[in-house]
Amino acid sequence: MKTLTKALAAISLMAGMSAGTQGLAEPFKVGVCYDLSKAYTFATPQVSQAAMDLAKLINMQGGIGGEPVEVIVRDHGNEPQRGIECYSRLSREGVFVFDTLSTPVSLAILPRAMEDERILMQSLVGRGDAVDGTVFEWVYPVGPTYWGQAANNIGYIKKLHDGDLTDVKIAFIYFDYPFGQEPIEILKTLSEREGFELQLYPVPLPGTDQAGAWSKMRREKPDHIISWMLGGGHVVASKEMTRNGIPMDKYISVNWLNEVDIANIGAEAATGLKRGTNVVGGLDVPLRQLIIKELYDKGEGSGPLVKTQDVYYNTGLAMYSIVFEAARKAVELEGLPITARSYKAGLESLEGYDANGLMAPITVTAEDHGGGGKTRIEMWNGETWVPQTDWLSEYSDVVWEVVKESSSKYGQ
Amino acid sequence: MFYRLSGVRHADYVSDSRIYKVPTDRNLAVFFLIIGLAAPFIIPSLYLNSYMLPWLIWTAAALGLNLVTGWAGQLHLGYAAVMAVGAYSAIHAARFGVPWEFALIIGGLASSVIGSLFAFAALRVKGLYLAITTLAMQFVMDWVLSHSPTISGGSHASLQSPTLTLLGQEITSDRAYYYVAFGWCVLVTIFMLNLKRTGLGRALVAVREKDYAAAILGVNSFYYKILAFATSSFIAGISGAILVATFFFLAAPEQFSVNVSIQVLAMVIVGGLSSIIGSYFGVALILLVPGVVNTVVASVSQWLGMQVNVETLAHIPNAVYGALIVVVLLIEPLGLGKLYGNVRDYLMVWPFDQLRK
Repeated sequence: MKTLTKALAAISLMAGMSAGTQGLAEPFKVGVCYDLSKAYTFATPQVSQAAMDLAKLINMQGGIGGEPVEVIVRDHGNEPQRGIECYSRLSREGVFVFDTLSTPVSLAILPRAMEDERILMQSLVGRGDAVDGTVFEWVYPVGPTYWGQAANNIGYIKKLHDGDLTDVKIAFIYFDYPFGQEPIEILKTLSEREGFELQLYPVPLPGTDQAGAWSKMRREKPDHIISWMLGGGHVVASKEMTRNGIPMDKYISVNWLNEVDIANIGAEAATGLKRGTNVVGGLDVPLRQLIIKELYDKGEGSGPLVKTQDVYYNTGLAMYSIVFEAARKAVELEGLPITARSYKAGLESLEGYDANGLMAPITVTAEDHGGGGKTRIEMWNGETWVPQTDWLSEYSDVVWEVVKESSSKYGQ
Repeated sequence: MFYRLSGVRHADYVSDSRIYKVPTDRNLAVFFLIIGLAAPFIIPSLYLNSYMLPWLIWTAAALGLNLVTGWAGQLHLGYAAVMAVGAYSAIHAARFGVPWEFALIIGGLASSVIGSLFAFAALRVKGLYLAITTLAMQFVMDWVLSHSPTISGGSHASLQSPTLTLLGQEITSDRAYYYVAFGWCVLVTIFMLNLKRTGLGRALVAVREKDYAAAILGVNSFYYKILAFATSSFIAGISGAILVATFFFLAAPEQFSVNVSIQVLAMVIVGGLSSIIGSYFGVALILLVPGVVNTVVASVSQWLGMQVNVETLAHIPNAVYGALIVVVLLIEPLGLGKLYGNVRDYLMVWPFDQLRK
């Protein structure tokens, strides 16, 4: 029995070692564990298609440092244990860069990634305080946090009122669960500082019943409405706005609003609607056009063309441009093969990177894993998105105060 | 032949009330116990950690639900909420500095108290009404978790679990996590096996079959229903705490949301009401099969060199998985446990049953 156990242990050890060495010789892989079948399907198909297209384009151009890149897309159905399984399986195949695009799964993987020293990209999802690189060494929520995004929206409104927000009423309508509740704290702080009146309108999930909130809003007459809802929630909101005679240009959405929602509202009816974003919307983005020319025109796209005509496709391109640019930097800095450590160094050497005018320029440092958290306001003009501001990063002191306060609790 | 019955005689009550009346059953159980003990040395760590560990913890939890739904016949749609109470209380206790052994028990007791509180409300109603009452409990708990940052751990609603320490040992390796889960699952299984042959178990079954008939027999159905809720909640609480301490490492409301409640109920129903082995099978089907089918479909399409859209690829396993549940329940409405029972019954007399035909 003893010898048997020893033999088995030896075999498993050998298997483990061979898996380890394989990882070095293989292409640069990104583990894309996405929810392609449950709650996040409003965005994951477009984002994963963008990731695969971008990988194809990079491979056509000769890869990174001469090595090909690969994105491995797996479904986890938004279930934490399946996300963990995806993470564990791919880690053993030598993947050290992961992306989940799901808050519950990102939360579930985070402690493991921190322990195993693997990179967890979590743009736009997961805990926002992970931008604090001093605490969350291996987590990179590159892009704006919801806190930063809300602060930037207030910054935009302040500009509209020539820098004076006293006597301005700002409504915040949100899904009444952690995603929607997140910005409240920062909005309250800013309301005290700037003197505007903040009105809160919680909406129960799944956002189909908003009648009460909007008729109350009709009475209270806010000057601006910041909305933290998703998908169908925006469509219901737009109907309620029409019913209550609230003009569309008061509405400033979180980044989760896309062409599908616009089509459901009606392209014409949605005119004037605004959204905060860290990614340039519309079809004229150079990188998107290059992909259309190189892949879709030759019939080699990773999915239907219509999915590329979506602002979430641009979001995906932005997320993965960062992922691959960091790999390029890693090769520049420390050569092949790319390891988790050299990749981390690559990420932290990104400076003013905007993927050729695709997104807000980001500068990732060891302290700031968010890359600056810049966003801008874009308006739907009936056909496309028109920028209303430059890239903004407002009230970073307040945002970082909230970040630090929250991140300091991690690990206690 | 496989189940040798010759020489097996039950001449007294003690022998007749044994857990394993046929030696083969006992030997099988011992065999699987040994496999379970040796698993960390024979199963690759990926499968140990991502399949075996959650499987065992969820089995313990499902057995708890089986106690209240399968044995006592009380439909429960808020089981995940009870697990959440246990998980959050245990973690808060551990963060407060209480040793983990006691923290787990505190988690179990807290679940027990909250679970039976809801049982009180539920005792006046039965069947579908009870299902809705317990569902309401789930929603209350979801609401509490998403609206009280002190409980759920700040604006991100994630509460980190401190390192698990049991009997002075820090539990940090994959093997150690596995043994904790295995130990708990074995404990719950032994409890459930014994429940069958105790007065409590018989009383629960009597309450399930007809509660007023039970009352005529002198079984206080009110008392036993509460006891069933309390015991099952205790198991749920500790299972929830162990799940977070050894698998998730942090507690988040989504881990205990309403769809999880429905999943656990599905595990129990697909496995078979009041079947212990069925709970093992049911959990395996509901929890593990989606991941397995996913991997299989992905590798088959890769092997065939098919250019399948990732979205389609993600939905095929769902269809297969759904079909699998339907097929199982069509073949055997009493669940996978009964399916196993059928095979066992067949083998019990094989090949001599052929002689009669």
